[in-house]
Amino acid sequence: MTIRQSSAESQTRLSRRTLLKGSAVALAMGAAAMPSARGAAVERPAPGTPSGTPPKGRVIDCHAHLSHRSRPTWEADDRKLIEAADKLGIDQLCCSTLTPRQPATADGFRECNEWTADAMRRFPGRVLGYCYVNPGYGREALEEIRRYVGERGFIGIKLYNEYTCTEPVVFPVVELAIDLGVPILHHAGHSHYFVEEQPRLTDGGHLAELARRYPEAMLICAHISGGGDWEWTIKALRHASNVMLDTSGSVTDDGTVDMAAAVVGVDRLVFGCDSSMTAGVGKIRGADLSAQDKEKILGGNMMRLLRRRKA
Amino acid sequence: MIVDVNAYLGHFAFRRLRHNTAASLLALMDSKKIDKAVVSSAAAITYRNAQAGNEEVAAETSGHRDRLIPFAVINPFYAGWQDDLKICHEEFGMAGLRLYPKWHNYNLSSPCCRELVTAATERGMVVSIPIRVEDNRERSWLLNIPDVPLEEIVELVKAHPKSRFILLNGLGYTGSPLGRKDNGLPSNYAVELSRLSAVLANEIGQLITNLGADRIMFGTGMPFNYPDPALVKLEVLDASDPDKDKIRSQNAASWLRL
Repeated sequence: MTIRQSSAESQTRLSRRTLLKGSAVALAMGAAAMPSARGAAVERPAPGTPSGTPPKGRVIDCHAHLSHRSRPTWEADDRKLIEAADKLGIDQLCCSTLTPRQPATADGFRECNEWTADAMRRFPGRVLGYCYVNPGYGREALEEIRRYVGERGFIGIKLYNEYTCTEPVVFPVVELAIDLGVPILHHAGHSHYFVEEQPRLTDGGHLAELARRYPEAMLICAHISGGGDWEWTIKALRHASNVMLDTSGSVTDDGTVDMAAAVVGVDRLVFGCDSSMTAGVGKIRGADLSAQDKEKILGGNMMRLLRRRKA
Repeated sequence: MIVDVNAYLGHFAFRRLRHNTAASLLALMDSKKIDKAVVSSAAAITYRNAQAGNEEVAAETSGHRDRLIPFAVINPFYAGWQDDLKICHEEFGMAGLRLYPKWHNYNLSSPCCRELVTAATERGMVVSIPIRVEDNRERSWLLNIPDVPLEEIVELVKAHPKSRFILLNGLGYTGSPLGRKDNGLPSNYAVELSRLSAVLANEIGQLITNLGADRIMFGTGMPFNYPDPALVKLEVLDASDPDKDKIRSQNAASWLRL
């Protein structure tokens, strides 16, 4: 055990003593034992639900990022992420490491994935890895997915904005994800203007189209609260039953989670933060949903996706 | 006690708001244990004649003044603003203002704005400035309203050292003179926390260090926003209990004479 790990775990214990309400012990996806973090995410039941009955399930942030190591503070930043998760009652974080600029090169996404794997070792049971690739690299991208998802226990694939998800170059990645039985978390957003810095930005409509082409794919539309018109996104995905909606993003507009639950159903919502930690937790806490529904969103639905992984 | 310095009543032009009547907002506040809230008209952000929104808020808050503290939305570029200010203060009992320079198409450096701030200060009114109303990426196809640049705020607080400003819906203060220690600016402004981080970068903690806990105020942005994210920030903020008490209510109570 390194000094770094020891410090992080000490902080974990301290914050849990202060904040934990529950006592469950969960197993990390894969094998490692993991203490349960019952904190702010599940501390308060929704209005109208029985008090003193916090959800029992695991809390999984479906959309998290580790710091790129070009940042001199990357190690401290990663540790802060885990400490924030401890404070907020988030048991596990599904993480990718992204290149600072897109499009990512093959070397760029390779080193990112190796760093994600290293974080899984540094924070066992807390960090689950997404394999980030640029589909434009074809064979290299598929090899990377086979290596990290197929052999090294990553739980899914992260696609960013290099290509719109309906471009044919993306299809082999989707087909491999189907073969492996893992989800694709796809960066997305919809604004009513052309987003110059992201000319191939995917939106909910694109994901719905991809979902029709691949009904067996498990797609996650990233951060419905990531800044675009979330009402548009939710409506665009109403009929795309194999697309999950990730609640993450910095925007805390009232009604977002409620509308998403009403339009697509709670079974298609997965809790996320995308580094906006209190926003992510607060939106779920604020949604006018039952404790059981929140439990699904906070982790149950993501667990269901992850269990579909093929051997 | 929790005092929210960033709440609203009424309709917003581009999105349906829940909890936007006095009764429904109070019910929401009860469920979240928020005792008092400073409210202004959401409709006045896009009404040409903002005073109509002030009239709506004055009527809506009547009978609830123990918990809802109405602020006026004044557009100093619109005819009759001096009359509106007088009515809002003297007849409606409004203790402060909210300014929307980008939505109302003027600059904080405009002479009319400076005149309004001076007039409000003479009346002892607090001037609050929402840096944004909603995230620009979700904007309607009809408009493109930028955030209020923090540089304009710097010049405003310097030019009006006797005024009291509350900055709402902002972040990135630590990258501006507004959030730096020993910045040479008058200590006449406070920062509301609804968009500030309490973990990771922890801008709230940095601002406590740089400006002092006396300069941070609790706010949610409800009913535009879920109130819970701001409440979660208070819970997880690594600050002393006395500092949290200041942020939670004492600073606002002092400024608003509650």
